[in-house]
Order: sequence, then C-alpha cells, then structure tokens
Amino acid sequence: MLCELSCGDNGEGTMNCSTEKKTAETKPWHLHRIFTLSARLILGGIFIYASFDKILHPAAFAKGVYSYQILPDGFINLTAIVLPWLELVLGSFLIIGFWLPGTVVMSNLLLMTFTGALLFNMARGLDIDCGCFSTTADSAINFWTVLRDVSFLIPAAYLFYVTFFPRNKPALNRGDDELS
Amino acid sequence: MPAIILIAGLTGLFVNYFRADTMPFKADWSIKAHEITADGKRLDISLVEAEKLFTEKRAVFFDARSWEDYENGHISGARSLPWHEVEQRFVEATKNISSDTTIITYCDGETCNLSHDLAIFLKDMGFSNVRVLVNGWTVWQES
Repeated sequence: MLCELSCGDNGEGTMNCSTEKKTAETKPWHLHRIFTLSARLILGGIFIYASFDKILHPAAFAKGVYSYQILPDGFINLTAIVLPWLELVLGSFLIIGFWLPGTVVMSNLLLMTFTGALLFNMARGLDIDCGCFSTTADSAINFWTVLRDVSFLIPAAYLFYVTFFPRNKPALNRGDDELS
Repeated sequence: MPAIILIAGLTGLFVNYFRADTMPFKADWSIKAHEITADGKRLDISLVEAEKLFTEKRAVFFDARSWEDYENGHISGARSLPWHEVEQRFVEATKNISSDTTIITYCDGETCNLSHDLAIFLKDMGFSNVRVLVNGWTVWQES
C-alpha cells in the first residue's frame, strides 16, 4: 500500500518500488535454482558412486542381477555390462547439465525400476544382496534399502517437476541457464 | 533419451571388449553351472545326501540368512552365520569345528547367493569340505 502510494508520487519512488517488486520476485527464484542445482548434484553423485564398483567388477554385478530373479538368463550379462555405464552417463549428464530432459526422465525411470525390483523381491521373500552400491555384500534387501531408494526419488521427482511442469516454463526462459 | 541409452550401451560394450576379463554377452546361469568353484569342483549337494549326513551327524549346517530369519526357523542344530555379518561372527560360529569337517551352507530361494558366497568364504578360510544346499531352507521344510 505504501509502495503503491509512493509509486504514484515521483519517479524516484517508482524506481524503488520496481526494485522491491523485482527482489520479491527473484528471491524464491534463487531458492528454486539452488534446490534444482542441489538435486542435480546429489542425484548425479549418487548415480556415479553407484556405478564405480559395478564397472570394475561386472561378473560380480552379473551375479547380483541374477539373484534378483527378474530378467531372463539371456539378458543378465548384457545388463551387467550396460547398466553401470548408464548410471555413470546419467550421473555425469545430471552434474554437467547436459540433455537434462531426457536424463531426468531416464533417472526417474531407473530409480522407479530399482525400487520396484526391491519391493517385488521383498514381497516374495527372497533373501538376497541389494547390490545397489557395491558388488560385495553391502546390505541385504530390507525396508531400509527400499526407503533409501524412495528417498532418491525425491530429488529425481523434483527435477522432473521443474523440467516438465508447464507453470515453470516462462520462468525458465527468463535468462536462466540451470536446465541447459 | 534413446541417445543416452545408445551412448551408455556402446561405451559398456566397447570397454567390455577391451578389458582383460571380458564378459560374454550370454552365460549359463543354471544352478548346476553356478555352483562350480574356480577349480572346477562342485559345491552343491543334493537334499538326499545332505539328509544322510544330517542323520549320521557327520556335517555341520551353517545358516547364511539374517539372524531374524534364523530365529524364525532353521535346520535343527544349524549354526547361524549371516553372510552380511560374516566377519564379526565367523570366529564364534566356527568354534570347535576342524578344518576337515563337512560344512553345509544354506539360505532360501534358488537364486540366493548368500550360501554360495559363505561357502566360498569358508573355503578361503581353510575349510576344505564345504558344500551348498541350494534353496536349503525351503527344500528342507518340504522334505
């Protein structure tokens, strides 16, 4: 109200008013950018970290894939060869901000697949290694491993929201470079 | 999105082709092929053979599942040695067992690797006669 009154009074007042308005508009936007960057770095870091041991020990990872008892035998080795590199590529692209729309969709799909596989095997009572971050016995699948995967879906879902939700489109075009 | 899959796929195949331990695209994942050690010896033991050793008290059974699963039910006389806590519990679990004693490890489910990994570990620790009862807990209950 005070601002509106002063805006009408003189040129200097108008200038102050528009600056205040701009600050009020950009504050949440800065927060939004920090959240987005943090989500990219966290998720990217998780994917890269998860890929290392699997890339170094593909045969051990293949055993892990086999123990999930989901894929046909013919796809086990191929998955063990390609999947860790997919994690590495997704992690790297998230961090450097390259091909983000596709990377974000793939990341979400991959995390949902991992969580689904954990839940499926927990439901049918298979007592197996998670194999999530290590090809050695890092942890058996249980409620906590599922919860961990679900927590990874939070930054992934947030990135999906800011990348594809139409309400953010005009904002993303205002000279921002976070998604490019 | 297909481009990302293509990049990852080609990189994976390229690296696999040039690495020293190249992995074939397809492998025999049958239980028979799985339970063979690096020196070509069979690890798995049939239920009939395991029951015979159990009746004659000529083998020690090791449950590789979690402590909770062991508590919920296990082969009579079996010792608990959860694979995920093997380093902490190994000394206590293998107390009074000589290195030439027949040891039978088991877990639950045909693709459960815990008993296999535990068997390999026990062999590495000097136990010469270690076998795996595949899908042990289920087949034992059904017998």
